[in-house]
Amino acid sequence: MSNEEYLASGILELYAAGGLSQAEREEVELRAANSPEVRAALDEACAAMETYAQLHAVAPRPYLKDKIMAQVQETNPVAATPEQNSEAAVYSLPPAEETSPYKWMFAASIALFLISGLLSYHFYNKWQQTEDLLATARASEQLMAQNVQTTSLRSEQLQETLAILRNPDYQPVELEGVETHPDANMLVYWNPQNQEVYIDELTLPAPPTGMQYQLWALDNGNPVDAGMISLAGTTTAKLQKMKQISSAQAFAVTLEPMGGSVNPTLEQLMVMGKVKS
Amino acid sequence: MPDNLTQKISEEALVARLRAKDNLAVSLLYDMYSATLYGVILQIVKTEEIAEDVLQEAFLKIWKSFDRYDEEKGRLFTWMINISRNLAIDKIRSKEYRMRVSTDAIAPGDYHSDFGSNAFNPDHIGLRDVVETLNPDQKKIIDLMYFKGLTQSEISEEYNIPLGTVKTRARSAVKLLSKLFKGSV
Repeated sequence: MSNEEYLASGILELYAAGGLSQAEREEVELRAANSPEVRAALDEACAAMETYAQLHAVAPRPYLKDKIMAQVQETNPVAATPEQNSEAAVYSLPPAEETSPYKWMFAASIALFLISGLLSYHFYNKWQQTEDLLATARASEQLMAQNVQTTSLRSEQLQETLAILRNPDYQPVELEGVETHPDANMLVYWNPQNQEVYIDELTLPAPPTGMQYQLWALDNGNPVDAGMISLAGTTTAKLQKMKQISSAQAFAVTLEPMGGSVNPTLEQLMVMGKVKS
Repeated sequence: MPDNLTQKISEEALVARLRAKDNLAVSLLYDMYSATLYGVILQIVKTEEIAEDVLQEAFLKIWKSFDRYDEEKGRLFTWMINISRNLAIDKIRSKEYRMRVSTDAIAPGDYHSDFGSNAFNPDHIGLRDVVETLNPDQKKIIDLMYFKGLTQSEISEEYNIPLGTVKTRARSAVKLLSKLFKGSV
C-alpha cells in the first residue's frame, strides 16, 4: 500500500481516536517511524484529538499534585542518596499497583484457602478417629448385648432347672454305670403327675460316630422309648426334656444307631437305675 | 496543539530532563498536562475519586516507564494520553469499578460539560463549536473510541454500524477537528 493510499484509508484517524486494537496500533507506529510523511499525518490527527481532549480538561484538586510528586520522589532510585535509599526502600514497599484492594483480597483468599485446607485436614483426621472409636464402641456394645442375652437365657434356664429341682413332685432317679462302664452315671427327674422327664448330670463317654444314647423307661419289664439324648446341652445348666412317661419302675440308657431303635440293644446298656418307690 | 502546552519548556527539553530522571521535570509535566489528562480520565471513569486514583497511577507509570517512550513513534502527549486512557479504560472494565459505581449510583454524563476548557484554549474554541462542526453520528463514534475505549470493530458490532461506516465517520470527524483547531473551517 502506498503512503497515499495508507493515509486515505483513515487508519491514522482511527489511531488518533483510539479505535484500533493493540496490534493495529503497533503497525501504525512502525509505519510512522519509517515514513516522515506518515508520521506528519499521524501527528496532525493525534494533535486534533489532543485538542479535542483539551476541551474536556478539568484541573484536578490541588492536593493531588503533592501526593503524586511525593510518590514520584519515593520511586526514584537515581536521585536518592544511599541513606535515603534505605529509607526509600522502606517507603517504596507499597507502590501504586499494590494499592489495589484486589491484591489484598487475592492474598487473603490464598491465606484463607491454606487455612481451610489445614482445617479440613485436621478435621478429617478427627473425623476418621471418631469413626474408628464409634466402630469400636458399636462392636463392644453388640458384644455386651450378646452377653446380656446369653446371660438372661442362661438365667431363664437356671430358673427352669430350679423350678424342676425344687418341685417335690419330681423324683430324682440315679442311673449308675453297669459293670462294663463303671464311671458312667446320670440323673433322671421324673414327675409321675405330669409325666415329664428330664435328664441331667450326664457322665457318659462320647458316643462313636453314627451312634447315639437313647433313654428307656422300664415299665413292668417292658422298655419304653423315652427319647434320644443330646450331648450338646450338657455344658449348659439346662435340663434336657425327654418324652413323657406315664409309668416306670426304672430308667436305662443304651447306645443305639443314630435316630434310635424301637427295642433297646441290651449289649450296649450304659447306665441304669430304679425309681425309688 | 504543542504550542499551547509547551509554554514553559519545549517538549524535547522536557523529554531529555525526564530521561535524566529529573524530579522537577515531573512537576513541569504535571503542570502542563494534568488538567487535560485528568479531564479525559474523568470523562472515562465519571467519578472524581476514581479519576484521581487513575491520574496518580498514570503519572507513576509515565515516570517509571519513561525509558519506553520512543519519540520516533509519536508525540509525548500522545504517549501519555494513551497510558492514561488505557489505565482509565482498564479501571472501568474492572470489577472493583463496577462495584463502586453501582453502590455510588453515579449518573453517567455528569462531567460532559465543557467547564475548564477555556483555560487551555486561547482560541476559545469550545465544545459547542465542536458540536456545531461535527454531526452527532461522527461525534458519537470518536467519543466511543476515545472515552469508552471501544475499537472500530467493537463499535461496529455493538451498535450495528457497518465497519466501513465507522471508519469513514471517524476519519471525517478527526479531519474536521483538525481543520477546526487550525482555524481553517
